[in-house]
Amino acid sequence: MLEIADLSVRYGKHTALDGINATVGAGEMVAILGANGAGKSSLLGAVGGRVKPASGTIRYKGADLLALPQHQLVEEGIALVPEGRGIFPAMSVEDNLSLGALPRRAQAGAAQRRDEVFALFPKLAQRRAQVAGTMSGGEQQMVAIGRALMSAPDLLLLDEPSLGLAPIVAQELFAALGRIRAGGLTVMIVEQNAAATLALADRAYLLEAGRIIGAGPAAQLRNDPAVAAAFLGGAPAA
Amino acid sequence: MLLTTLILGVVLGGTYALLALGLTLQYGIARIMNLAYGELTLIAAFLLVWAFQGLGLSPLVAILLLAPAGYALGWALYTLMMRPLVKRSGASGRLEVDSILATFGLLFLIQGVLLLVFGPNFTSISYLDRGVSVLGVTVAANRLVAFGICLVAGTALVVALARTRWGLTLRAVALSPVSAPLVGINVDRAMRQGFALGSSLAAVAGGTLAMYQTFSATGGVVFTMKALVIVIMGGVGNVGGALAAGLALGLVETFVATAIDPGLTLAATFALFLIVLLWRPEGLFRRR
Repeated sequence: MLEIADLSVRYGKHTALDGINATVGAGEMVAILGANGAGKSSLLGAVGGRVKPASGTIRYKGADLLALPQHQLVEEGIALVPEGRGIFPAMSVEDNLSLGALPRRAQAGAAQRRDEVFALFPKLAQRRAQVAGTMSGGEQQMVAIGRALMSAPDLLLLDEPSLGLAPIVAQELFAALGRIRAGGLTVMIVEQNAAATLALADRAYLLEAGRIIGAGPAAQLRNDPAVAAAFLGGAPAA
Repeated sequence: MLLTTLILGVVLGGTYALLALGLTLQYGIARIMNLAYGELTLIAAFLLVWAFQGLGLSPLVAILLLAPAGYALGWALYTLMMRPLVKRSGASGRLEVDSILATFGLLFLIQGVLLLVFGPNFTSISYLDRGVSVLGVTVAANRLVAFGICLVAGTALVVALARTRWGLTLRAVALSPVSAPLVGINVDRAMRQGFALGSSLAAVAGGTLAMYQTFSATGGVVFTMKALVIVIMGGVGNVGGALAAGLALGLVETFVATAIDPGLTLAATFALFLIVLLWRPEGLFRRR
């Protein structure tokens, strides 16, 4: 479904990504793991149209993604939840979700999708009239993910969804991601919380200093001592 | 006396509110502080007079034509002049300074053309200038018609911004141009629409002003400044605030003119502006 080939991203003289090759198949959940500054967000940003790569190709369902402007990607079925969420803080939850349903592909069935989002995040249903910027970090993340789901995506890109959240809130969020995953949506996720992410994902790529240093099925990576040492805080995950 | 001031003030404030609405849309959505805004209203005012005197066209019909013409002019201005500035500035924040300098130049360009075409004299038309009694206060019919036009145009715009998909798109771009592409919004197009819509409002406001006010080719800057005062009083980008502040300015000016001295209205406007800037720079109606 998504094919990334020889992708490089540079910011001035700094090389953030160097010759990345990766794929995401339909219905898969693929995690990108790595330390701060490894290039994870650059990779997701390039797929989501926020970052212009220096070289390489990104193909989605056969089409050249890099030829499209960022706003066109939603219409193609790609929804990005960026780091920092990118919600409209001065607008209500309801308006934020309505904005998610703006693309032509999402207009039919918007009401039903809204019900699904409210079922996934009951808190949003209770607070639909609240101004999004006055909500807690976890709730704002729900708004961001809910809004992305409103656009009827085929591919959901999540950039550090648990960043800055209290452990219990993060746990709640991962539970919701598990339900999204079970619904069959294709997901590409960048996360610091490697243990929780590997528990959900099918496969993962390990990124270090802009290069892929490892890849494989999530179950295998969870039990890899080297991965455990680097990403899982030393001990193999249970 | 008080009632007279109140009614005349509200009627004047209606035009001011519409005038300010266009400027606040241009700044709020397109991020362009348009110092040539008053000149856009003047173009419309002169065209209305020309259509009325030269072609015998009713000012009401002229205003209906001025609205789309203003939109088209705004669209063209954005495409030819503002878009290159927006593109060049990127995320650097240079757009504000660049647009102020560019539209400051545009001000004199339009003013020069207006002087050349229409001359330096004060212009006015006599249209519906008989008095009508409103709650016992005599108001010129042309002012009432102008107020009605502003009321309809302003209400239609506020409802469209609040209730339609298109309005939601424009509000989203005003609030966060960086996040808007995430929901598939073409920010460039929305900014162009916002600027064009603001120009359309400038044209309608200019047309209504010409129905009852005397004006000249060099007076555009006063309209720009008044609109700016209202926008800042109402809170930048706050549509409801601009409407309320527009009415408030109309009331203040009328009160000063009747109770103190007509020569002091402009001074009163700017005194109000300074007070707001010093004590409530975020506007009288703080958002959030």
